Amino acid sequence: MHLVRDLLDQALVDRNGRNMGRVDRVVMEIGEHAPPRVVAIEVGAAALGARLSASVGRWIAGFLHGWNVDHGQPLRIDVHQILDATDHVKVELAFGETPAANVERRLRRFISAIPGANR
Amino acid sequence: MSAIVDLVLGVVTSIGGFVEVGSISTSAQAGSEFGFQLLWAIAVAGAMLALLTEMSGRLAVMSKRSLAAAVRERFGIHFQSVPLAAEAILDVLLLTAELGGAAIAVKLLTGIGFQWWIVPTALLVWVILWLSGFAVIENGIGLLGLVTLSFVLAAWRLDPDTGDVARGLLPSLPTHDAVRYAFLAISIVGATVSPYLVNFYSSGTLEEEVKQEELWVNTATTYGGNMFGTVVAMGVLVSSAMVLQPLHIQVDSYEQAALMFVPAFGRWAIALFALSLGIGCIGAALEIAINMGYLLAQVFGWSWSANRSRADNARFSCAFTFVLMAAAAIAMIGFDPLRLTMISVALTVVVMPLMVLPFLVLMNDTRFVKERTNTAVGNALLALLTVLGALFALVVIPLEIAGG
Repeated sequence: MHLVRDLLDQALVDRNGRNMGRVDRVVMEIGEHAPPRVVAIEVGAAALGARLSASVGRWIAGFLHGWNVDHGQPLRIDVHQILDATDHVKVELAFGETPAANVERRLRRFISAIPGANR
Repeated sequence: MSAIVDLVLGVVTSIGGFVEVGSISTSAQAGSEFGFQLLWAIAVAGAMLALLTEMSGRLAVMSKRSLAAAVRERFGIHFQSVPLAAEAILDVLLLTAELGGAAIAVKLLTGIGFQWWIVPTALLVWVILWLSGFAVIENGIGLLGLVTLSFVLAAWRLDPDTGDVARGLLPSLPTHDAVRYAFLAISIVGATVSPYLVNFYSSGTLEEEVKQEELWVNTATTYGGNMFGTVVAMGVLVSSAMVLQPLHIQVDSYEQAALMFVPAFGRWAIALFALSLGIGCIGAALEIAINMGYLLAQVFGWSWSANRSRADNARFSCAFTFVLMAAAAIAMIGFDPLRLTMISVALTVVVMPLMVLPFLVLMNDTRFVKERTNTAVGNALLALLTVLGALFALVVIPLEIAGG
């Protein structure tokens, strides 16, 4: 697997095929006498912002923390929870049960009150 | 049979959806200042748009990804952050101009100041987006947009000299004010080849679940629809050249542009112009607003579809709502809609290379388009478009300052 081509920035879906976001960051572990290995992937605005620049990442994390969204931290998914990475990255989670769905869930609660939103 | 119906509907709605504030203002200005001389620019711009939309549709069918999603996956967020930011700013400006154009159309009908109509217009656009599926958004407004054929009817009734029109289709040097001529030629390209149109088209291809065996419909729709659409924009230019140029009226407001209909339609002129402008602008506003929802959802990997309930795609729904609110707020400040349109058009030209360049890579990457990669001719045209786009981007702002 080519990490940048096949993993980073690819669409991330849960076990039911629901969009969770994109692979915003790949977490690697560098051992002293072992080759680097991928341990997790991350999804969330703070991780994406940190790739653009450390200060953007910090600013987004602070902003999200201020709005009480996941303490500003991205969702980290263990590499063993990846089921498939051929066309998109499928993981062994249900989107609705993860903190990554918090923003979607809050907005849905808000807009469901608007007529026509549930059509 | 269904493919034929899709083709006819696609072409007809493309005609109805082609004309909006950008094409009306640039074509009207070109006609009033240079007669038929800039007809060629409309033809070139229409061909450029057809080329890009065909490729974005083919990319969507083959990869099951929109243009924005494919760019994120192939080039990563570092590259995409620049065109994403540029398109977001541009779309808000364009949306503001479209809301302003639609509000002016209502002003022409009622006589009440256009600022009063900004919020009702934005609300109408939002209600349509909130309650409708993709077919209504695309086809409904496209069919209503056939009223813009009145520009072609006006040009036909004015009976222009066929030889003069044909000569206008060939590029020629201006008889006066070369800087303004060059600026208007490039502005016509900017008004036609908008980034939102390309991503909207690829998203629509996915919404309609077009299959690989229906690719020929995509090709025929994009080339046929854009070809007939350019005829409507040419109708604006010809009418303006025949009516406004002899009276030495330079179009610096939509109210002046409306006068081009008077000889052809008499007392119905203002109402017909207002309907054409209003429906064209509302159609474009719908596409721009929902495209911002598509764009953000596709780049960040959220759920999106105009065919699912708005609550099911909460972030997508909030994105297009927020963009509409932002554009309405800017429009309320009281910018001159025509001036804002010309600024948006110039900025579109500036970001054009960022839009065209990814096509050169994506349309030759078999991971995305499989066996349907570009032909040598397609690549040569894209390369030419990239070079032209870069050249236009370099000169458009100086030209706007010198001749705008």
